[in-house]
Amino acid sequence: MHDGRQMPKTDTSVAPAPVVSRVRSAWYWIVPYGAVLLFAFTMLTLAWVLQRQDAEAQRNALARDVQWAEQTMRLHMQGTEEFLAQLAREMAGGDLDRDAFQIRASQHIANNPELINVAWVAADQRVHWTAPFDTTDWLVGDPLSGVQAVVLARARSQGRPVYGEAYVNGRATPVLEVYVPIQQGRSTIGAMVAVYSLDRMMTHLVPTWFAEKYRLTFTQPRGEVLAINSAVNTVDENLSHAVQLEPPGNGLRLVATAYQTESPLMRLLPLALIAGLSLFVLWSLWLVRAHMQRRVRVERERDQLFNLSLDMLAILSLDGVFRRCNPAFERILGYPPEELPGRPIVDFLHPEDVAATIDELRGLASGAPATFETRCLCADGSYKWLVWSVNSVREEKLMYAVAHDITGRKSAEEALRAEYAFRKSMEESLITGLRAIDLTGRITYVNPAFCSMTGWSQEELVGSQAPFPYWPRDNREALQQTLALTLAGNAPSTGFEKRIRRKNGERMDARFYISPLIDAAGRQTGWMASVTDITEPKRIRAQLQVAHERFVVVLDGLDAAVYVADAASDEILFANRAFKSIYGFDAVGRRVGEFGLPTPPNTLWYDVDPRRLSPDDVPRELYDGELRNDHSERWYHIRERAIRWVDGRVVRMAIATDVTDRKRVDEENRAQQERLQRTSRLITMGEMASTLAHELNQPLGAIANYAMGCVNRLKSGEYRTEDILGAMQKASAQAERAGKIIRRVREFVKKSEPRRHPVSLAEVVEDAVGFMEVDVRRLGARVEVQVPLDLPPVFADGVMIEQVVLNLVKNGIEAMGDAPAEARVLLVEAGLNPEGQVQVSVTDRGHGLSEDARAKLFSPFYTTKSEGMGMGLNICRSIIEFHEGRLWVDPNPAGGCIFRFTLPLENLNESSSADSDA
Amino acid sequence: MNPQVLTAMPEQIIYLVDDDEALRDSLIWLLESQGFKVKGYPSAEAFLPEIRPDMTGCLLLDVRMPGGMSGLELHDRLRASFCTLPVIFITGHGDVPMAVSALKKGAVDFIEKPFNDEALLRQVRQCLAQEEENRARRRQDAEVSRRLGQLTQREREVLDLIILGKLNKQIADVLGISIKTVEVHRARVMEKMGAQSLAELVQSVMAIEGVNRG
Repeated sequence: MHDGRQMPKTDTSVAPAPVVSRVRSAWYWIVPYGAVLLFAFTMLTLAWVLQRQDAEAQRNALARDVQWAEQTMRLHMQGTEEFLAQLAREMAGGDLDRDAFQIRASQHIANNPELINVAWVAADQRVHWTAPFDTTDWLVGDPLSGVQAVVLARARSQGRPVYGEAYVNGRATPVLEVYVPIQQGRSTIGAMVAVYSLDRMMTHLVPTWFAEKYRLTFTQPRGEVLAINSAVNTVDENLSHAVQLEPPGNGLRLVATAYQTESPLMRLLPLALIAGLSLFVLWSLWLVRAHMQRRVRVERERDQLFNLSLDMLAILSLDGVFRRCNPAFERILGYPPEELPGRPIVDFLHPEDVAATIDELRGLASGAPATFETRCLCADGSYKWLVWSVNSVREEKLMYAVAHDITGRKSAEEALRAEYAFRKSMEESLITGLRAIDLTGRITYVNPAFCSMTGWSQEELVGSQAPFPYWPRDNREALQQTLALTLAGNAPSTGFEKRIRRKNGERMDARFYISPLIDAAGRQTGWMASVTDITEPKRIRAQLQVAHERFVVVLDGLDAAVYVADAASDEILFANRAFKSIYGFDAVGRRVGEFGLPTPPNTLWYDVDPRRLSPDDVPRELYDGELRNDHSERWYHIRERAIRWVDGRVVRMAIATDVTDRKRVDEENRAQQERLQRTSRLITMGEMASTLAHELNQPLGAIANYAMGCVNRLKSGEYRTEDILGAMQKASAQAERAGKIIRRVREFVKKSEPRRHPVSLAEVVEDAVGFMEVDVRRLGARVEVQVPLDLPPVFADGVMIEQVVLNLVKNGIEAMGDAPAEARVLLVEAGLNPEGQVQVSVTDRGHGLSEDARAKLFSPFYTTKSEGMGMGLNICRSIIEFHEGRLWVDPNPAGGCIFRFTLPLENLNESSSADSDA
Repeated sequence: MNPQVLTAMPEQIIYLVDDDEALRDSLIWLLESQGFKVKGYPSAEAFLPEIRPDMTGCLLLDVRMPGGMSGLELHDRLRASFCTLPVIFITGHGDVPMAVSALKKGAVDFIEKPFNDEALLRQVRQCLAQEEENRARRRQDAEVSRRLGQLTQREREVLDLIILGKLNKQIADVLGISIKTVEVHRARVMEKMGAQSLAELVQSVMAIEGVNRG
């Protein structure tokens, strides 16, 4: 956000510069190119002009030289003409003989090497004399050829020297002949002939420098070349000059062609040089331009780099004053870059960092670059961490500084350092060993815990490869296999247990968990193993396991169902086998409420809500009571306590004991007790008699003893009256004591008179029959009860009436002991009779009673039963009669007896009830 | 037998333990009227300190004494203290089975309340006479035992063989001694045992030997 606001500004300020400079530099670059081209053109023109002038001069020199050569030749030829004319004159004068001729001619030839022959040709056109001696041409006697003859004739006719046409003689030598007529008088006697060799003329009549300079040729008018002084063809055809060789005048021309002293290439060299130089200059200009452009681009880039740099760039003077700053200063610190120049850097430093920074800057003076971190004041007053990289250039007395905002990094670093310190301390306090291996299986890291665990030092372990030092020798194959699995990435995610060796040789059990080691780039660089020493835990676990098994065996062996449920969530955390067998084997994890067992919000069960209990409040009794399971219809005694569970939370632990049997026994005991109570009044009578007898025995026995003692003494006559008197008094006291006993018995009997209340007969009958259930079942009989529910209550002592019913039922069942099993049904009925009384009848199908037996049935001490006391029916009748009812027996038409009794209704006895209560 | 022994005999006392004071007092009154010496105790606990092995007479003991040691227990304690005092239980109505078990443990008799005074007196007299006879026999046995203890080893061997009915010659053979020596030993045995005849000797020794061997 900060960056986004600042960046566009930087762009606009920088963008126009390259466009302008590009246009301007384009124009700049036309000028040097134009100048170079102009210069090249001028130079070429100049060179051309000079060359033209030079060629003109050469041509002039050539013409002059050729003229001069021709003159030289003319002079020589004139000399020879004169010599010949001399000879001719002498001859004509006759002063000349053959020998002289020969001598002088040979001499002349020797002096004039261009001559090859001198001969005297007579008018007969034959050679007469000839020189030199050894000539093979112009032999004496040789006739002249036709051509020669013509020339001779002309010379004779003209009377002056005539030159013949040059020709190539038989020896392939181009020759020129001159005929000088010999005038003897008027006649002509032949002619003196001199033969010039054109080749020799060229070699001997021109100076050496000339021959070196020019190629000379004699050409006929028709153009064919007769002689040439050089075979060298490197001639400058442009530089050639031809002159007529006078006086011969027969068209022989002397042509001089300058040798090419310099090759055309050489001649073109300056031009080429100029052109080349120009091109070179252009090329170098182009190079310079490219270089310049590159420079410009680089500079532009540098400018952009400076301006666009996200880091702060600054140029400072050696005394730490800003000279130039880039826009990043504004972005990071908030100062516009133009504000900073001229201000010392110290102004912006955090006071604590000033001293250190000045030290650093001072160190820069020695030329070494410096990097340091400082806090810098921002425009908004906050400080930012900057890392400065400063380099000084002493020659320029400047420092170049780069500052990077590391506030984020600093805090990140701080966080990282804290994190690192945290991890380090964690790693050091870690008791889990850590071991990292790279992908080849080499150990790259172990933590201190691993070292202390195994006893091997870090140096010994790091870098080692399988087999690792801590591998026991006897188990290497297995460990190698595990390592291979690990490296293949197939290590079990649940880890594996291995026995490894400590340095001191001890074995330890270790558990390894393998996870891939991923570097920052997301590549896997190895495997990290966390190693736990489980030697002790394993032993403890084994013990715990045993303890746990014992615990479970004990708990599962209990008849009582035990469960533990979370107090808050009501979830069952533990249940023993007894519980599961009652409530299902999936009980753990379900809610207690699902089973109808006590759950927390129920205030019937809990006086304190176990969900509100804190761990400090427990253990605490929650519930203790008996509940009936509706499904199994069994009774459970449930004792519930709030306890602290293994993980610290509060749970409810309940022990439910099946008390159905105990309850039944209790019930039976209670019934038994009741029965005892109910019969107690009857029994009391018997006991009373027994107790009475015993109690009375004492005083009566004492009285008898006193009396006999007195009698004996009185008989013997040895007595004292006082003694007799005392004994008699004591006997009298004992008689009194006996009287008290009798009174006590009477009181007791009085106390146990019946109490009458409105009683539901249905309940009485039900209780009595229920009371007899065990006996009924034992005898294989059945009791049918038919008592209308709307029967009005009777006014009676419930216990006594129950006793009567009980007695009658018991008698009836016992009477049916010999009857067939299906006939052993006792019917107990109740209903209102016509007199407005309730009538109860107990009908059995037993052996029945004879008339006689029925008559005696209700008299005391009558019994038909071997173990009977004979009191039952008598008492029953007394009870019923006490209640103003009647008890009698009728024979059952179907066999057996029907005992019936009547009782008055409650509403008829309200007045008597009041009496009775009073 | 020996008048001297009879005179030295301690007086027979009737001990009476009954928790009912009236009955106890009236019984003492009755028994004293017949010339018996009677001591009464209100409970078994009160009688315990009186127990001595050489007590003579008899003990009248009420079986049922609520609130303390019962008569049967006291009887056991008496026997445990090697006291040979004969016991007559007084029982009430319904205590008969208890009295029977007491008889099996060595009580002399029992009498059921309410009792006839004549019957009681007869039983007490019978009991005392029996007790006196037993005591005399015990005293005689003790005398024979004391004399037997004075015999030497050899004399004892000779005595044993005599009792088996061996002749002197046979005894000499068995013990590898001369007949003369046997005769000397025999004479000394007779003297030490205070026996006038061979029959008397054998009878007195057999009486206690029979007890010891039984």
